[in-house]
Amino acid sequence: MTGRVIVITSGKGGVGKTTTSANIGTALAKEGYKVVLIDTDLGLRNLDLLLGLENRIVYTIVDVIEERCKLKQALVKDKKNPNLSLLAAAQTRDKSAVNAEQLKDICDKLKEKNDFVLIDCPAGIEQGFQNAVAGASEAIVVTTPEMSAIRDADRIIGLLEAKEEIKSYKLLLNRVRPSLIKSNDMMSVDDVVEILSCPLIGIIPEDTGIITSTNKGEPIVNDENAMAGKAYRNVAQRILGEEVPFLNLDEPKGFMAKIKDVFAKLKAKV
Amino acid sequence: MGLFSDIYNTVARFFRPQEDQVEGASKAVAANRLKLVLMQDRTNLTPKILEQMRGELIDLLSKYLEMDKELLELNFEQEGEQVALMLSIPVIRAKDEDEIEEALKSAQTAESEDDTDEDKDDEAENDEEQKNNVQEESQESLTDTPSESECETECELKSESTQNSDSEKTAKPKRKTSSKKVTKPEGIEDSEADNTNLVQETEETNVN
Repeated sequence: MTGRVIVITSGKGGVGKTTTSANIGTALAKEGYKVVLIDTDLGLRNLDLLLGLENRIVYTIVDVIEERCKLKQALVKDKKNPNLSLLAAAQTRDKSAVNAEQLKDICDKLKEKNDFVLIDCPAGIEQGFQNAVAGASEAIVVTTPEMSAIRDADRIIGLLEAKEEIKSYKLLLNRVRPSLIKSNDMMSVDDVVEILSCPLIGIIPEDTGIITSTNKGEPIVNDENAMAGKAYRNVAQRILGEEVPFLNLDEPKGFMAKIKDVFAKLKAKV
Repeated sequence: MGLFSDIYNTVARFFRPQEDQVEGASKAVAANRLKLVLMQDRTNLTPKILEQMRGELIDLLSKYLEMDKELLELNFEQEGEQVALMLSIPVIRAKDEDEIEEALKSAQTAESEDDTDEDKDDEAENDEEQKNNVQEESQESLTDTPSESECETECELKSESTQNSDSEKTAKPKRKTSSKKVTKPEGIEDSEADNTNLVQETEETNVN
């Protein structure tokens, strides 16, 4: 078995790389695929928190590289889903503890026994990014409809393009707020796609549920009703090759809007 | 009166919320600023270089055209897969052959006289010439066709070598950035090359 190695990156920090990694990983595992999540943000690990696994980590990726344990020992199984496991980052070391070759080696080993290896990349374009990208053949670039995030995403796309190993990259637009787009105060999905000219793999609406799900250490894809959870499940489907239409993010119309519509129709008839 | 107009405006705004929002939309501002800054990021063209390009293009084109230099616009635009350099020049009138020849000659002499202050001298001389020419024109006769008098031309210097890397065309989606180095240096070099060629040609005709 040769699994797919996908790096989740963004350039800018705080746009939702780790949240995206946790949710896509969980969604794919729920579909029955074997998934390993690798946190490569050495010194600033958080993926364990989002999955609620922070108390179970014994060995980290640095322990594997420095041969204090076997790779299998360092993989922490998810509480609910045995298909999902996490290779945590070391919290006490910095990015220089790992090099690109070592990470590529780990990815190569992991993809033999898993369907998906998802790499949560640190922010920035320095060594941490280079390490995270080294073993991957696909990339998901996470951005939000804000100028700084889009600019950084553009930079990342440029860097990914220069890498021969990366065969394809897709854009995931996070924290979209339909009400702001409607009032023309936020760039729309089309605007961002046009500016970055990168194929889209998902649109995730801003959802307060993300905060509560992080608090509980449970990815939002497990919440059947949450919009963001649904959007992430759709992303997982698209990764699996299904054609899923993008969510209609228009909020349900209010009373006044409905009346306006009725008048507009009457006017059109007259 | 001010009070009344204020009240009127607020009431009007209440009834026309959509229009106001569209006008003051920060989204369009953001998109435009982003497009410009990304173009600079992708091409490594600094505002300084762009200004220099603008200056050189004005110098070159003012040999052939009389134009409104203040309104000349130089922008990058995305057209599908390509990046296009859009040059918008309000043309006042086209120069006739004699004037062009003269302009070329003076440009050449200025070049040979001193290389250091060449640009400034060029511009100054061209300006003077243009003024003189305008005067002569008006004195002699208005031979120019009216259609030439006030027209806006748009030059499009499209980058050609976007298709360069056929080998890299694998599964990756193609991106506009591939035209990075193209627009700027080639455009300038070409124009300079054309320029010198023209100078040489006119030289020959003079000798003859």
